[in-house]
Amino acid sequence: MNTQSGPTPSQTIGPFFKFGTEWLADEHIASEDIEGAIFLTGAVYDGAGNPVPDAMLEIWQADENGNFPPDTLDSWTGFARRLTDANGEYAIRSVKPGAVASASGELQAPHIAMVVFARGLLKPVFTRVYFDDESEANADDPLLNALEDSDARSSLLAKGDGNRSYRFDVRLQDSFRGQETQFFAFEN
Amino acid sequence: MASALILAKPEHEEDPPFHHSSYQSTALRGPNKAPLILRPGRTENHGAVFGEDRIRPNDDDLTRQHQGDPLGEKIVVSGRLLGSDGRPIRNQLVEIWQANASGRYAHSLDDHPAPLDPNFTGGGRTLTDNEGRYRFVTIKPAAYPWGNHPNAWRPAHIHFSLFGTAFTQRLITQMYFPGDPLIDDDPIANSIRDKRVLARLISAFDWDLTIPGTALGYRWDIILGGSNPTPEA
Ligand SMILES: [Fe+3]
Repeated sequence: MNTQSGPTPSQTIGPFFKFGTEWLADEHIASEDIEGAIFLTGAVYDGAGNPVPDAMLEIWQADENGNFPPDTLDSWTGFARRLTDANGEYAIRSVKPGAVASASGELQAPHIAMVVFARGLLKPVFTRVYFDDESEANADDPLLNALEDSDARSSLLAKGDGNRSYRFDVRLQDSFRGQETQFFAFEN
Repeated sequence: MASALILAKPEHEEDPPFHHSSYQSTALRGPNKAPLILRPGRTENHGAVFGEDRIRPNDDDLTRQHQGDPLGEKIVVSGRLLGSDGRPIRNQLVEIWQANASGRYAHSLDDHPAPLDPNFTGGGRTLTDNEGRYRFVTIKPAAYPWGNHPNAWRPAHIHFSLFGTAFTQRLITQMYFPGDPLIDDDPIANSIRDKRVLARLISAFDWDLTIPGTALGYRWDIILGGSNPTPEA
């Protein structure tokens, strides 16, 4: 019997999700002609430092004024999905989100929420993408400041190339080389 | 940790762990550090909205996506998408994907030597109605072998992707079928430590959902946790 008495638990996305999920995986958040358009690119790596070619990631974000639907233009979803390619890479055109207040009311630095699913992940990893060229806002960000480990903090910073492109790599595990991305979970 | 944003709570225990040694792919992909429990802010409390214009005819009937009828046992899979407060999650996207009646995925990397079905792709999507209800017509997927350990077989399952009203509710999981003897030995299903929690992934046979003479019915309700986020300051 289906005895639903609490939240439905997670299971892995498995390796063969493409034909169920790629229909939503080709859209950008911002169009090309928008003035403040940025590219968010990067790759997903496993604990051996190898790219993960069968991951799916999604970003959810505010618009450039820090607003979410319904306080945005009708066309704004703030959502994009990508399936990583053979090199584990992804790329999404978007805008840098405006500042958003935290749960306790403090102003936060611009950030994007990201979730990654993959074969071998029995539940998703959630993280946040900040921007390394927002040093002033980042210095006052309550979440970045709550991270005691400077490697954890820097794992959340997308690295700008000075030309409106930012690189954010997701390192699922720190076993053999490099730093694990700081992941978050939420109260259930 | 001294912060109003990071909570000194253990991870939610009902979900599977990142590391589960009998599921080999977790070894290099599961994070080693426990995630920090974050009090969601506005970014995590907002949800994605997908309009009805995104759904095409027959997206919810996987038996009608090609010229001919697919092989296998036609079934209806239906249930409700609810928040943990019991309230329906309305007009929200439900996506599914699955193997065909021979246990083969329409995916270029699936090397199981079972036949592909030219009349079955196995991907579907729909939006929930005002009561949070979703309904798919599809084919009962077969079990399939996988390389995890000698003679490993996945129980028959349908992959589900769910959106709630907030980022914190995002869930991907698998629905199993009642009475499947493979569930007990499946490393993925048994990554869920509590059998009563695993039982939430097993659908129920339901005469009320059958289409007489055409399809048997399975009911499966989905409850998304994290639906009572801390109110915004
Ligand atoms: Fe599967």
